[in-house]
Amino acid sequence: MSLVVDHLTKRFGSVVALDDLAFEVAPGQVFGFLGANGAGKTTTMRIALGVLEPDAGRVTWQGTESHRLPRSTWGYLPEERGLYPRMRVLDQLVFFAGLHGVPVGRAKREAVAWLRRFRAEDLAERKAEQLSKGNQQKVQFIAAVLHDPAVLLMDEPFTGLDPVNVMLLREAFLELRDRGRTVVFSTHQMEVAEALCESVAIVDRGRMVIGGRLRDVKRATGRRLVRISVADDHRLPWLASVPGTRVIQVGMDRSSIELDVGVEPAAVLAAAVAAGVRVVHFEIADQSLEQVFIEHVGRPPDEELHLAPADGDDEPADDAAAAAERAAAAERADDPVRAAGKGAA
Amino acid sequence: MTAPREPVGRTRGDGGLGNVWLVARREYVERVRSRAFVFSTLLLAGLAVVVALLPLAVRMVDRATVTRIAVTASEPGLADRAVGVMDGFLNARLSGGGGGTDTMFEFERLDDEAAAVEAVREGSVAATMLISRGVDGGLDMQVLSAGGLGPDRAQLLQVGAFAVGILDWTASNPATTRPFVVPGFEVVDAGAAGSGGGAASVDAAEYASRRIVGIVFVMLSFLTLVFYGLWVASGVVAEKANRVMELLISAATAPQLVTGKITGIGMAGLTQVGLVLAPALLTLLASDRIADAVLGPAAGSASSLAALSPGLLLAFLVYFVLGFALYAALYAGAGSLLSRAEDLQIVALPLSIPAIAGYLPAVLALSGGTSAFIRFASFVPLWSPFVMMARLSVGTVEPWELGLSVGLLAATVPLVTWLAIRVFRAGVVLYGQPPTVRTFLRAVRHG
Repeated sequence: MSLVVDHLTKRFGSVVALDDLAFEVAPGQVFGFLGANGAGKTTTMRIALGVLEPDAGRVTWQGTESHRLPRSTWGYLPEERGLYPRMRVLDQLVFFAGLHGVPVGRAKREAVAWLRRFRAEDLAERKAEQLSKGNQQKVQFIAAVLHDPAVLLMDEPFTGLDPVNVMLLREAFLELRDRGRTVVFSTHQMEVAEALCESVAIVDRGRMVIGGRLRDVKRATGRRLVRISVADDHRLPWLASVPGTRVIQVGMDRSSIELDVGVEPAAVLAAAVAAGVRVVHFEIADQSLEQVFIEHVGRPPDEELHLAPADGDDEPADDAAAAAERAAAAERADDPVRAAGKGAA
Repeated sequence: MTAPREPVGRTRGDGGLGNVWLVARREYVERVRSRAFVFSTLLLAGLAVVVALLPLAVRMVDRATVTRIAVTASEPGLADRAVGVMDGFLNARLSGGGGGTDTMFEFERLDDEAAAVEAVREGSVAATMLISRGVDGGLDMQVLSAGGLGPDRAQLLQVGAFAVGILDWTASNPATTRPFVVPGFEVVDAGAAGSGGGAASVDAAEYASRRIVGIVFVMLSFLTLVFYGLWVASGVVAEKANRVMELLISAATAPQLVTGKITGIGMAGLTQVGLVLAPALLTLLASDRIADAVLGPAAGSASSLAALSPGLLLAFLVYFVLGFALYAALYAGAGSLLSRAEDLQIVALPLSIPAIAGYLPAVLALSGGTSAFIRFASFVPLWSPFVMMARLSVGTVEPWELGLSVGLLAATVPLVTWLAIRVFRAGVVLYGQPPTVRTFLRAVRHG
């Protein structure tokens, strides 16, 4: 009795948007649908909504095929947000709820209640074109949930939101989940998914890459992560002595080290102690979702958000510089070791 | 491939007609409340009143022009007397007021009847009045005209003829052995002179009126169908451009959205047509009274309303509703293939071509033509709202022709709407390049 994406295939001309995509979402979960732009997230949602027809496969909710379900089963927040610019906010909300069969009186009450909860009750009488982008997104979200749908399909809900609204939206998600609603949202921001989701599916170019419970997905590669804080040189020059380790994130306070399968976290700590480094914090963690994504897909989910490497941006030079730095740092590394193993094991 | 599916959205609990009504009401309210609607309605209503007053204005201007009339009589001296009486009576009446010098008629006596008839034909005079004495001793006046004599002037001339009759009765026969006989008066088309075709004279005036009414209807149909059709297309494009469509299509089905939009905008259009036409119709109805006040009681009626029957208005309503549904469906389908409002002109022109193609036979039909092509055009659903309205206005339609024309149009509307819905369903989720014929066909196939 869940939301089943059952081997969907969809082509647009010669472009294969979905290639035998299959996953399941347990009811009452917050589910992260992860992928870069063009992975097929929006297409999957449109098929679920009955707006698009798949070439093969189907989407079912509680055993019923999506195109036999009433549309009010779904609450949809499109990626491209849009409202009628010259219509009052309250009128729009009542209109959209009305299309889903909510009587005017109830729709008004619910709309006002939701606006109040988003601390935006003063928006009710305004026209959509007068709203800030963040406020428009609040209204859009309310339009998607006003008819109290069983499943929420949210396409990139956090994109373009300011931090305050991100927090509000997260809380709304969790509250809807607590009310027994199923929340599916797509994103290319792995931290958000990591913070909110019980389960995830990672898709790339219309194909399922990996999916399941968040913890299982994060452990699927068998690699582990060490987060470490040292009192001295945060570039961790001594790490070169431990094979199968990589610094994936350098921070003044805390750095993350990725370990190959078979490399014991204790070896890192031992190396640090041997090098006489004062360790302030030491933590063994699962791989971040971002790392899992890169590992499976071969590139970061938000690759297109960054500049492509410039010509002559040569990695060897980078390596040489890093090596020289490490060598120099190794000479200075003569401090007494003070390991504060926290959360080890 | 999976088994054949039911069309998307045709499930229980999807709002059905309720959603059509919601979409229609939203469209209607948004249109009617918009500033553009209010302004264009006021402007068009003003324009329509002006047009309605036009015949009156023409008559006022007409007052200053001089109509030359040749007079011949069967008795010696009668022609001279008639010229004197009518000149004094008709021209004095107007100049008497303010001492103005404006002359409405210029009469000249011609002794040769054949020459007088010829003068009308070659246009050197507007009309020739042939006066003869009937067996009862009263006068018969036949006015030959080749279109140079307007209905107003003809009526004034009748007043003059009446005066001639009275004077003839009192002057030439003091003993009064015979009772006064109202002089016979008829306007005859010069082409039909001598054959005594009295019927033709009535028809000429009414026919002109019918043509005016027909022109108004054809132009009104043409403008409203293309104009309100564009409203539908631009409404669809706007929803796509500002992305409300994404939310709409997930909340309501494509048939609900298309039929709701067409209904709502159609009602708004009908409201505007009503608001524009009502004051104009009232003006026309009141124009006789206005004419009395402005031109004096003898001016008579312009009879421009004569051809505007309730039946014709009803036919216009039927053709407007069906014709609009047809054109609006086409515009909705076409609009759904566009992504930006700027692309609207890409479909605006091609879609107005069938309308323009129907406008031409309609104009031909207005001049009384009933060629095979015009008959055929009045059955073609895209054209019949114009062509059949034109034929109805000038009264050249058999009942079965009207039935067939309306029936074909009514049958085409659901067919085209169904097609438009298929295009719409596929089109609204397509963003990007402006449509080509191939995208259109693919949309129809897969929609």
